[in-house]
Amino acid sequence: MMRDSLAGLALLFACAGAAAAGSGKEAWIPEPMPTGFRVELTVIDGPVFADTKGHTLYRWPFKVMRNGITGDPRGESNCGSEPARLSGGLMSPYPPGLLMPELDTRPACTDVWPPALAADAAKDVGRWSIITRKDGRRQWAIDGAALYTSVLDQRPGDLIASDAGNHRGDLPAMRDPVGPVTDLPPGFAVISTHRGRVLRNERGFSVYARDAGRHGAASCDAACTRIWQPVPAPASARARGDWKVLVRDSGELQWSFRGQPLYLYLPDPRPRAQDGTDEPGWHLVYVQQAPPVPAEFTVQPTTGGLVVADANGRTIYTYACGDDAPDQLGCDHPTQTQVYRLALCGAGSAERCLKNFPYVPADRGARASGLWSVVSINPLTGRFAAAGDPGAQKVWAYRDRPVYTYAGDERPGDINADNYGELRAQRQGYNAIWLRNDFTREEG
Amino acid sequence: MKHPLPPRLLPMLGLLLAGFAQADNPDRPAGGSIAYVLTNMSWAMQSTPGAAECPKGLNEGTREQFKQLFPDNGTKRSFESTQLRREIDGFHPTTAAEPFVYREGEGPVAPGLDLDGITGPEDFRSPDGHEGIENQMHRVLGCTANYRAPDGPIRFFEDEMVLRENYNRVVVQLRGVDSLKDDDAVDVRIFRGRDKVLVDAGGLKAVPGGTQRVDLRRGANYIRETRGRISGGVLRTEPVDLLYPWDVFYFPSDQYMYKARLELKLEPTAATGLIGGYADIETWYLHTIRNWGTHYQSYGNSSAPSIYKAMRRLADAEPDPQTGRNRAISGALATVFTQVNIIEPDPAEYAEALTRRRFAAPYRGMPAERDPAEEQFDPQPSTPAVAASGAPR
Repeated sequence: MMRDSLAGLALLFACAGAAAAGSGKEAWIPEPMPTGFRVELTVIDGPVFADTKGHTLYRWPFKVMRNGITGDPRGESNCGSEPARLSGGLMSPYPPGLLMPELDTRPACTDVWPPALAADAAKDVGRWSIITRKDGRRQWAIDGAALYTSVLDQRPGDLIASDAGNHRGDLPAMRDPVGPVTDLPPGFAVISTHRGRVLRNERGFSVYARDAGRHGAASCDAACTRIWQPVPAPASARARGDWKVLVRDSGELQWSFRGQPLYLYLPDPRPRAQDGTDEPGWHLVYVQQAPPVPAEFTVQPTTGGLVVADANGRTIYTYACGDDAPDQLGCDHPTQTQVYRLALCGAGSAERCLKNFPYVPADRGARASGLWSVVSINPLTGRFAAAGDPGAQKVWAYRDRPVYTYAGDERPGDINADNYGELRAQRQGYNAIWLRNDFTREEG
Repeated sequence: MKHPLPPRLLPMLGLLLAGFAQADNPDRPAGGSIAYVLTNMSWAMQSTPGAAECPKGLNEGTREQFKQLFPDNGTKRSFESTQLRREIDGFHPTTAAEPFVYREGEGPVAPGLDLDGITGPEDFRSPDGHEGIENQMHRVLGCTANYRAPDGPIRFFEDEMVLRENYNRVVVQLRGVDSLKDDDAVDVRIFRGRDKVLVDAGGLKAVPGGTQRVDLRRGANYIRETRGRISGGVLRTEPVDLLYPWDVFYFPSDQYMYKARLELKLEPTAATGLIGGYADIETWYLHTIRNWGTHYQSYGNSSAPSIYKAMRRLADAEPDPQTGRNRAISGALATVFTQVNIIEPDPAEYAEALTRRRFAAPYRGMPAERDPAEEQFDPQPSTPAVAASGAPR
């Protein structure tokens, strides 16, 4: 029905081969980097640039917010070394100039986001250049965007400081990880989801493969192609790394990835839909899959799709927070202020928070998996517990932040606390972990 | 002769006409069944251009209340005791008094239904002259710009999203219909559809003749069945507790109405009218506080904590067996439905979906509530509302 075609096709890619082709990991296009920097592959967010210790590099994109603008302009850094004392009023409708919480311990921007400093002898390389900070120090930049690391990232490939898959409109001016370009043919995109890096076409529609076609010729006949459209390859396409070009009996060219002929599901009603997975024997295509959710958790159907739940079926929620100072610091990690979370979950009462949004206890034998880990928390402060703390509890965490259930959810499938918080929980609040959302929102 | 309709619309017209072209009874829909998909919905309130129903004026919103509580008089204001404090008031509402005047929608006229068959002192007269209308929701929201017709911002967005978002695809299907004019008994099925609404070339106006599948997979909880009667072309249904989807900007959320009844003027291509009943207050408020944060409240001068207090004060149904507090408030939804064809589900799959349907109680509010005594309204609290400290990692 179809045969591999390796010859006679013009060059499609301009650069060298993919860095991790054939490994089952996401491949990227190598590019010149300054000495000491490298590429790390993250768990679900693709390849990122990292410093000599393997710490992920971030930029702080200039962002137009509801009531103003913040972030780094091209060629400059607005991340200062003095703690911001006053709110920026960027979070509509409140005014600026309010004294920020916990001023006595509030860090400066550079305490949290250390600049990636350049040595005196360092010179521009490719997209990498050097800018001069306000204090005269030299800082690396990519495409003119100043680069930082995060104090939250501990290990190579960590991406604790940013949720790269979350770019909703009213989020704080977040720092984004930077990395090399994923090695894909034109017409494809890769998106971060809770299940891994999923392949889409250029319009955002899911790309599928058939289980039976996994290791060889496709078996999607004429009847099959009435709902499964082969992803066409241009005449100029050629095989490269994990990607091959198949010639169908009709003479049409079709992309395949890691031996899987690729298709679109014509009934998919919108970009990001994954209705094709409801057809037996068909699956989404991941360039890199996330490790499985720990066995202690379940997946529950809701009125909107599928969410991660605890063993009793209660929906699991993450908490995210960015403050309203001009430097837009995080406030959702146990090493950061808990003022916002305690206000939202308990009107300032930690005890009430524990009743409304209890932590998810981890059993003694609980094992980390991917971005899921077990952390020791002092439940009354919300901070990591100090050694020997008698009140410490072992709880589940996602991206190094504790997760919660909501006592207002009475039954499996309830999602009463999803997007519960300021500006639909984009500024601060709780979100369910969606593995599939059938109603347009990104599936996680 | 050139045909007045574009050729590609002819099949649609034919489908519509076929549905009613029956020699014996031209008012009987094909197969004795007709369905309508919800395409517009908003809370029914009296909103005259001159706001005669608001003789004391319209309410102030979050921005105005903030200025009143925390005036910019040169003293340092802390984030915790001002901004965060007001967010707490929104996410942990209480019935405590507040230093603001709440302006209720007044009578004597307001749209709605006579839900209890009694004309009481709180009842309104409908715009077409019916007495005994219960619509306490008009008192709560009638003088708040965000919810007033025709273009209150929240009203506008919520109405728009009924058409735009598939999560909100409510369908009413009538079966056993002998006539759209008069029929003593029809079966009424309410469910969620799975498909986009057929719209005109502009994309904002629904047109009849589309199709809908029944959402059995995600939408089992929304399936309701009741009975109704058609008289003079108006469908009136028996009450049924109704869970219905009403999400905003793609964030799934629902509403709950006790003893909901439909009163719809039926036409072959559309059905318009009211869904009246008693809205569950905590479900309504959860929907509001999740979807319409302080920023959006400021669009049209609403204040969630003030609305909550008014709603609880004016609640008139479903007393809590333990506290005696009413949990629901009378009101009505002004609706427009558009005719749609239903792809009937497999009976076995439909029956299976019903086994997954849950009729449990609606949302009950945040379990650990804030005591009203905690909500103090001194303009400049000296102590932070929240204090937290912790050990280093």
